[in-house]
Amino acid sequence: MVSRVVIGFLLCALAVSRAILAEEQPTAAGALPDPELTIAAAIDQQIGERLALAGFPPAPLATDLNLLRRIMLDLAGRIPTAREAREYGESNAPDKRRALIERLLESPEFVAHQVNVLDAFLMQSRRSNLRNYLELAVAENRSWDRMFREMIVGESGDDEQSGAIQFLRSRIGDIDRLTNDVSVLFFGVNISCAQCHDHPLVHDWTQDHFFGMKSFFHRCFENGGFVGEREYGELEYKTVAGESRKTGLMFLSGKQLPETEVSEPSEEQRKQEKAHLEELKKQKRPPPAASYSRRARLVEAGLESENASYFARAIVNRTWQRLIGRGLVSPVDQLHSGNPASHPELLDWLARDLIHHGYDLRRLIGGIVSSDTYARSGKWDSASRPPAELHAVAIMRPLLPQQYASSLALAAFDPEPLNSPDASKKIEARLQFGRGFADWFELPGDEFQVGSEESLLLSNSDRAARELFGDGGDTLVARLRSCADLSSAAELAAWNVFNRPLADSERQLLVEYLEQRKDRLPEGYRQMVWAMMTSAECRFNY
Amino acid sequence: MTLIRSISRRRFLATGTLGTAAALTTRGVEQLLAAEAQRQDKRVILLWLAGGASQLETWDPKPGRPTGGPFQAISTNVPGIQISELMPRMSRHLQHTAIIRSLNTKDGDHGGASRLMHLGRRDEPSVKFPDLGAIIARELGRSDSQVPDYVSFYTATEGRGTSLGQSGFLGARYNAMSLTQEQIPANLRRLEQISEMDHRARGQLRDAISEQFMRGRESSAAGSQREAYQRVPGLMASEKLFDPSSEPLSMRELYGETLFGQQTLVARRLVEAGVPFVKVSRAWWDSHGQNFETHLELVSELDQVLDALLTDLQQRGLLQRTLVITLSEFGRTPAINASLGRDHFATVWSCSLSGCGILGGSVYGKSDEDGNDVAEGPVGAGQLFATIFQALGIDHRKEYALGARPVPLTNPGSEPIKAVLA
Repeated sequence: MVSRVVIGFLLCALAVSRAILAEEQPTAAGALPDPELTIAAAIDQQIGERLALAGFPPAPLATDLNLLRRIMLDLAGRIPTAREAREYGESNAPDKRRALIERLLESPEFVAHQVNVLDAFLMQSRRSNLRNYLELAVAENRSWDRMFREMIVGESGDDEQSGAIQFLRSRIGDIDRLTNDVSVLFFGVNISCAQCHDHPLVHDWTQDHFFGMKSFFHRCFENGGFVGEREYGELEYKTVAGESRKTGLMFLSGKQLPETEVSEPSEEQRKQEKAHLEELKKQKRPPPAASYSRRARLVEAGLESENASYFARAIVNRTWQRLIGRGLVSPVDQLHSGNPASHPELLDWLARDLIHHGYDLRRLIGGIVSSDTYARSGKWDSASRPPAELHAVAIMRPLLPQQYASSLALAAFDPEPLNSPDASKKIEARLQFGRGFADWFELPGDEFQVGSEESLLLSNSDRAARELFGDGGDTLVARLRSCADLSSAAELAAWNVFNRPLADSERQLLVEYLEQRKDRLPEGYRQMVWAMMTSAECRFNY
Repeated sequence: MTLIRSISRRRFLATGTLGTAAALTTRGVEQLLAAEAQRQDKRVILLWLAGGASQLETWDPKPGRPTGGPFQAISTNVPGIQISELMPRMSRHLQHTAIIRSLNTKDGDHGGASRLMHLGRRDEPSVKFPDLGAIIARELGRSDSQVPDYVSFYTATEGRGTSLGQSGFLGARYNAMSLTQEQIPANLRRLEQISEMDHRARGQLRDAISEQFMRGRESSAAGSQREAYQRVPGLMASEKLFDPSSEPLSMRELYGETLFGQQTLVARRLVEAGVPFVKVSRAWWDSHGQNFETHLELVSELDQVLDALLTDLQQRGLLQRTLVITLSEFGRTPAINASLGRDHFATVWSCSLSGCGILGGSVYGKSDEDGNDVAEGPVGAGQLFATIFQALGIDHRKEYALGARPVPLTNPGSEPIKAVLA
């Protein structure tokens, strides 16, 4: 089945393949910035150098209020309240941004949001069984390498297999998918193509790479819903030419892992094993842990110094993509030599820094959001907009379902009660209420598009009208009705929904709209609030 | 993880040797072709016969054979083509229809087979493929369209789980507007608390403040959000399309006063208004027992509905640009079991294609004497899909880029069946 398509690719691949093969490990020593720099300084140095080379001055820094909203969404998963916005805007403290970041990184809201982010990333769902584990691990700020180990091998003492191992357990029915998911999520490489043939485009990835990785998992099995692992069994696969081939354990780097040979069990032993497993199934107990585990070998191999850069670069790249809007390597599952990073030295520096600081994700996140690169304005008013990968200007990012839901829930309600001393409890209650809306929205992938399901729902659903755009007791609309005039009502709504004052042109637009509805003002307010909450500004992190 | 881009852009990035102009030219040509396909306003109505309709009681009768069952074959208006006597009305429409009698799709499990016949290929663990409707919606839908791109009726509960639409990596923009219990899609109707004028006005206010905000900013996702809201009034106006009661009684009676008949009438209303893809599902054809009673009832209904649809489309001048497909997840065994039923059978079975791009009066492929095996011209799901795309003027080799991976509309090696194409 050598099709036109594959041939097309080979031609393409030829053009690049020669140049690729050398680059594997972090680039030449000496090219990386000083290890003693702060993360933010290293980022700004590297991004700045490329920009200077390209001849683009960066956009100015975003306004304080813009930046507050951006940081709150990224670290706490919600927009600021009107009060938080006013206070931040009015503060003259020279290091208020740093203080904000430090405070948020220590907050329970950071934990809750980071759990949402990791859960979406690892499980692609909002209600997975991994959440309990993630809540614990993120609250303790467990290191990423430890979390990796726990998700692949399991936590000691977790006999019920209810913790981290849910990552593996939920995928145990499909070892091919498990193999590719682990490669994508932890190492940033999508080797699914190499399952059937050597990767047509990427020289790094052959069938051996796929089956070498699969060998780490193919002894795993499911027994009564639990994960077990055998201590014998070799993986064979058919090449495109139809030959049978064994790879043995091979890491993505191509490194073979030697093992002592094990003999296949006898018929009798197999029978016994089967009977034992049946018994365990009846007792609803997991199979005993293997004394030699290939999964454990993967963790070991993935984290040893010569391979660790794969693991570290993958999570650095993901984190960068989440906070900046585009991976240093893009797409994020194509970390290979044919797809170089926009800033290779920066990626390598960040990966090295992460390793040196014990895979501390909180530190990495804090470092990125402290940089000027993160803080650029998203507006570019002159003619030629620089390419996104230069990071001269901030990239707009669609909100995650929970971010949008939380933000809507805060925007929809009266800001007044949040001036009380127990504001944080009230905020929490509103966020809790908002969680119910998260199911309305799609988890954004790359090149995300909003569908008409969303616009129809927010336009016409009875529930949205009642719960988000109502005018009862504690709603924003109820508060607007007590405002002295239309202009101050519009202003208050802007603080609550957009967390900023209105520009003159906006005020004019809104007041005009309200004036035309003076005979039915509550409705006018509802419509204005609806228009703001469904606007591009409310839907994106900008 | 998913990333859809024009393939030419991916190639441009991959090689780094193409000039920008060259890459843009390729992309431009692609866009021109796509625009051309859209301009022609082609449409699809898929009649999905869920559970597995019997080929022997429809398109490939075997009268007089041990496997033939009690029904006879009848001649049609195309000399040499015979179909089951359960389809007397359809026998007058064969000049617009191609029959494929040699589907061999290998999967006899409802779930897997249903996915296969919706996606045109096997599910893959790491890729969520779009189904036929989503691809057609993307290829033939227009971004400024005032009507839905993809509507799917599936009222029965049997088999619904594996037959719902899947836009896969194309994203929510191409999700089916899906109707299960309801006959009118959710959230199309304006709430009473807001007047029609205010509803529109607040939408314009939304657009105006978003537009101010977007000055100096760039985001295709924000562009899609703007489109999603701008489509709201049009989508709401399409609500009336879902109501068959505004059709004359004679028209409703032509389609038959059954749910399937009325939904198919709605499908015609939708394609007439510009909806590129409508699927109407009729369940449940899974006749493990009493196959002949079941088919007497269901095929007779199908016969009336097909006759009505083809006649109606023809009279409105829509048949040349509307492709009507009848398809199941598989066919049924030639062997008749002890309960006088027929079981799941994917080795040799049939489907029909009528209208747009189809060579009428053609039959492709043959089953053997008793219908146990393909005797001539085996057809897989990929080939069928390639044929459907080709009939609509869509290049089945067109590729979506999923990250660095190119995903052609049909799997490589799936070539259209030229013999049934006009």
